Amino acid sequence: MSAAMGGPVVLDPYTLPSDDNVNPYAFSVDLNGEWFLQRGKMVAYYGRIDFHGLGHGPLDRLISVNFHSPLHAADWVVAQGQGKMLLADRAFDINSYDLADGNLTIRSGNLLAFQPGLSLKQSIIPGFLTLIGTGKFVAASNGAVVFVEPPVRVDPQALVGWADCPSPCHHYDHAYLRGVLGGVRMLTGLGGVSGEEHQFEFVGAGQVLLQSSERLMDDIDTGVVPRQPGVPAGQPHSGL
Amino acid sequence: MALFRLQGSRVLAVDLSGDAVKAKNGAMVAYDGKMTFKRLTGGGDGLRGIVTRRITGESMTVMEVRGHGVCWFADRASEVNLVRLTGEKLYVEASNLLCTEATLRTGTTFTGLRGASEGHGLFTTTVEGTGQAALVSDGPAVVLRVSPQFPLQVDPGAYVAHTGNLRQHFQSGVNWRTFAGEASGEAFQIRFEGDGLVYVQPSERTTVGGQV
Repeated sequence: MSAAMGGPVVLDPYTLPSDDNVNPYAFSVDLNGEWFLQRGKMVAYYGRIDFHGLGHGPLDRLISVNFHSPLHAADWVVAQGQGKMLLADRAFDINSYDLADGNLTIRSGNLLAFQPGLSLKQSIIPGFLTLIGTGKFVAASNGAVVFVEPPVRVDPQALVGWADCPSPCHHYDHAYLRGVLGGVRMLTGLGGVSGEEHQFEFVGAGQVLLQSSERLMDDIDTGVVPRQPGVPAGQPHSGL
Repeated sequence: MALFRLQGSRVLAVDLSGDAVKAKNGAMVAYDGKMTFKRLTGGGDGLRGIVTRRITGESMTVMEVRGHGVCWFADRASEVNLVRLTGEKLYVEASNLLCTEATLRTGTTFTGLRGASEGHGLFTTTVEGTGQAALVSDGPAVVLRVSPQFPLQVDPGAYVAHTGNLRQHFQSGVNWRTFAGEASGEAFQIRFEGDGLVYVQPSERTTVGGQV
């Protein structure tokens, strides 16, 4: 490779970063033990690493401690062993975050991998997952991630997740769609709607993570919640 | 001599002074000067190339660009990676090869199971000689060194190209649990051993093996 031509950087196990980004689109994990990853996000590795599907096997105990949404366990694998492992997802931007005895809720499609110090749970909000505990996790986003402090209102498609925020709620801003003329406008689109009438609102202490585009990552099935009354998205039994 | 340079990360600019480059058909986005574009049949490898490429399915529509001036190439906003070859052989999928200097020879070679698992067929394109080549990848390629003490495992869907003296074989982690419905999604990898460089893209093509 010619350095004068700005040739590519050649990496080996010593020069690959340890639990850090190689470039904005690839993350290098210094594996010594276990990591949880979403299926199919490993692109290459050095060393001795085994990939186990979640289920019955030698990792039963680990999984029962860290994994609390068994219904989508099929989307996750455990990488076990020693070595350097590269993670990437369809050339999307990848970032890692550290949680210290904290919690973070993230859109299911954005989460790529996490350390066993964290435990993964389904969020009450459908389509989102919550990580609780201490450790590092890796998330993908469409464009770079921006951190914002509440109070803030965000576009639903730009929301990646939030940490420590108590109040994710809907907000509608369509005062100009009231009245007879406004009603006609909303129903027919005559006069125009801005497409930004609906937002998510966050207040309280914490951080909100936004991606710099409004193109959503494909959702990953977060599993079904029990069909009980009072459980969001779990339809009550008929006859109750 | 043709001079390859990157203009941004997704456009390749080639300075030509009367010489020629081989480029993916239709990859020219702009040119300045006087250029001729000639479609080459069979990847530009002559009659033998036509026949091998037809038989192997490693089809490559290539044009020869000759002239004086600057020609810019790009392919669906993919990232462009420059590779300088000094006598060694570059193995690359035909779909990932954007442009090569006319001094480089291209051909096809048998890859065995790896090609099949990538859904690319059993053959791959080789580039040989001294000069520069440009590859495209979905996201900037990461270049990983393989040495005797550090063999490398690569997901078939993320593999782009490799150079050097590498042995590759298919590694499978398929066991009874795969068939019990507990597939890990990482059951197949290509294992590279020897001395060389492997280009990996931060994205996975949909592969036959990737679902297992």
